[in-house]
Amino acid sequence: MDAVEKANTDRQKRWAKDQKIGEGTYAVVYRGREIATGRKVAIKKIKVGQFKDGLDMSAIREVKYLRELKHANVIELLDVFSTKQNLNLVLEFLDTDLELVIRDRSLVFLPTDIKSWMAMTFRGLEFCHRNFILHRDLKPNNLLIAANGQLKLADFGLARDFADPGYKMTCQVITRWYRPPELLFGCRYYSTAVDIWSVGCIFAELMLRTPYLPGETDMDQLKTIFRALGTPTEEEWPGHTKLPDYVPLGNFPKTPLRDLFSAASPECISLLTKCLIYEPRRRISARDALKHPYFMTGAYPTHPSKLPKPASKASSNLPLEELDGNAEPNGNGPGVKANAPNKLKRKLSSDDVNGGSRSIARKLDFTQHRQP
Amino acid sequence: MAADQLTNTNAEASSSKHSIYEGSTQYRHWRFSQEELARKRSSLNAAAVSVVRDAFEADEPGSSSDVSFLNADEECLLVKLYVGKISQICGLFRFPEEVEATAMSYVKRFYLKNTVMDWHPKNVMLTALFLATKTTNNPIPVESYTSRIPKTKPEDVLELEFLVAQSLGFDFAVWHAHRALWGQYLDVQTVPGVTRDEARRAHQAALVHVRASRFTDAEFIFAPSQIAFACMSLAAPQVAASWARLRFPQTADTLLSTTEPIKEMVLAQGSSPDVEAVRNVDRRLKLCKNPEKVVGSRAYVKKQEEAERRAEEKRRRKAAKVRKAMEEGDPFGSELAGNGGIEDDDDDD
Repeated sequence: MDAVEKANTDRQKRWAKDQKIGEGTYAVVYRGREIATGRKVAIKKIKVGQFKDGLDMSAIREVKYLRELKHANVIELLDVFSTKQNLNLVLEFLDTDLELVIRDRSLVFLPTDIKSWMAMTFRGLEFCHRNFILHRDLKPNNLLIAANGQLKLADFGLARDFADPGYKMTCQVITRWYRPPELLFGCRYYSTAVDIWSVGCIFAELMLRTPYLPGETDMDQLKTIFRALGTPTEEEWPGHTKLPDYVPLGNFPKTPLRDLFSAASPECISLLTKCLIYEPRRRISARDALKHPYFMTGAYPTHPSKLPKPASKASSNLPLEELDGNAEPNGNGPGVKANAPNKLKRKLSSDDVNGGSRSIARKLDFTQHRQP
Repeated sequence: MAADQLTNTNAEASSSKHSIYEGSTQYRHWRFSQEELARKRSSLNAAAVSVVRDAFEADEPGSSSDVSFLNADEECLLVKLYVGKISQICGLFRFPEEVEATAMSYVKRFYLKNTVMDWHPKNVMLTALFLATKTTNNPIPVESYTSRIPKTKPEDVLELEFLVAQSLGFDFAVWHAHRALWGQYLDVQTVPGVTRDEARRAHQAALVHVRASRFTDAEFIFAPSQIAFACMSLAAPQVAASWARLRFPQTADTLLSTTEPIKEMVLAQGSSPDVEAVRNVDRRLKLCKNPEKVVGSRAYVKKQEEAERRAEEKRRRKAAKVRKAMEEGDPFGSELAGNGGIEDDDDDD
């Protein structure tokens, strides 16, 4: 046996697959364990043979970035091995995700709980940005939560390195409700600020317990944003009317965030406002967010182990949404396209959680338990 | 649980204790001393020779005695030639420099884990380049790739993709000296007394040396920024020295002296090898490559049959297990609930 093959077999022998917990066209997810320690893991088996261009881009991105990133608030890739023509990613096992937590009506959030989740989100994101990586798909169900309450950024299937100035990137990234206005206007040069906007939306959602800016289409998304935050002026966001897909959408007045988030502290409102600034260059950075008075004043964030968690597990067998469609089909250039906007969907109604048809985009679902 | 938390917080490269570079897989997995590198290659070569010799003997006793196997240096020479070919193909496709540099690193890393007697660098190079287009976010369909490379079919490229990815340990991210050089170039423009034109010329000339450095082992031994700085001081010693003195007033002299070995390496080894010498190696490789890897050879067929036999046996075992479960009244078997084990129990793919 070749040395490489042997090393692979040795690695493979460290892990046991126990039970299939999800299946999609792209991957099968198993619950498993590390044989030596019994530690629970998730094994994501990616079917490689079926892609005509070999290893698929989402898998490559996910492996590439997770191999480099080791941080308490980023999901840990423990190992990679192959079986026949499959790629197996061994990931740390995480019980639930922030979306399930938000949707669980039986849970009551304290302001310090929200502060804690936000701190962990910003910490994980600051680490990604410090490593020159844009996540490009932040949303509550990509923020997974470990048994000890630690929140971890997951799903790096759309991530990429910062591009050099002058190098185009696709604007078809980030699930619509969390997508910043510059991407909706077709901006092809952007920065870490796109992730910050998403975090702002998640921040608001944690307080509202319902998605803050749920647009129905890309156009409606812009309207939804402007209805909530007012139509941007040229002064507020210089040059936005020159963006490729700019369309005038009417003049919506500005309503103070305080009106909607009436229970929030002034520091909380201040940080939220800075995450949702129209002009991307003025939007707060993850690093500065961590130093914001919101985290420095008032009550301490809740210790992760004391954070609310869903008591009962969702029981439906949730399919993994298809993970393909990222590579430019005609290959006329170096650009990479993300899923078409209509594929970056997330269901609106919270009934769907109970109905079991909730769409989970490129996410491992670990919530299903085999009935004895 | 406690143990879990411990390993989590002790993760190898945790956030702020290390520089970004020290947290990278490049630093953690692909950095060696010159001696380590030489040792690694010679032991890899010795192991490969013994495996191939056994394969010859198994195929036909006595047949290995008059084979002249390649030594580690000869293997390196051949690899180096094909590392150079990557530039040509990248020129053809106009791939960005990132793709070219990444593919070169992949090929060099691949042969720290494999021998040319098993896998010929021509094929590995084509696959490594295709993989690099994807890992650097410049993907093209495999057909458009192979259609412009003579005598190459999509299967030829895809067949080895897994092996290459595996040999790289799935460490796809590579930090390059040309990026570090770009940063230094931007910074050099702030040095008083250096004109913009001087800076630009220094960068252009240094880039030539950085490209030459890709033929050497520098990236396995030094940090990208060290290589970049060495190349800058090769190209424009005055500019490099004044930048170093401005940026690192305390340590500039140490910095300048530690780059000496890099400069020597780039000048001595930074070029494509003599084609005649390599041709001789390649000729001998035809006679000493592992017969088990030569499609259609007797040894290859024999190995395939052995693999097929083992797979068949596994299928039979599995079928028997399912039958047994059926007889016991549980049509779905009990494999999920029970023993688990490592066996990849679904052959559905």
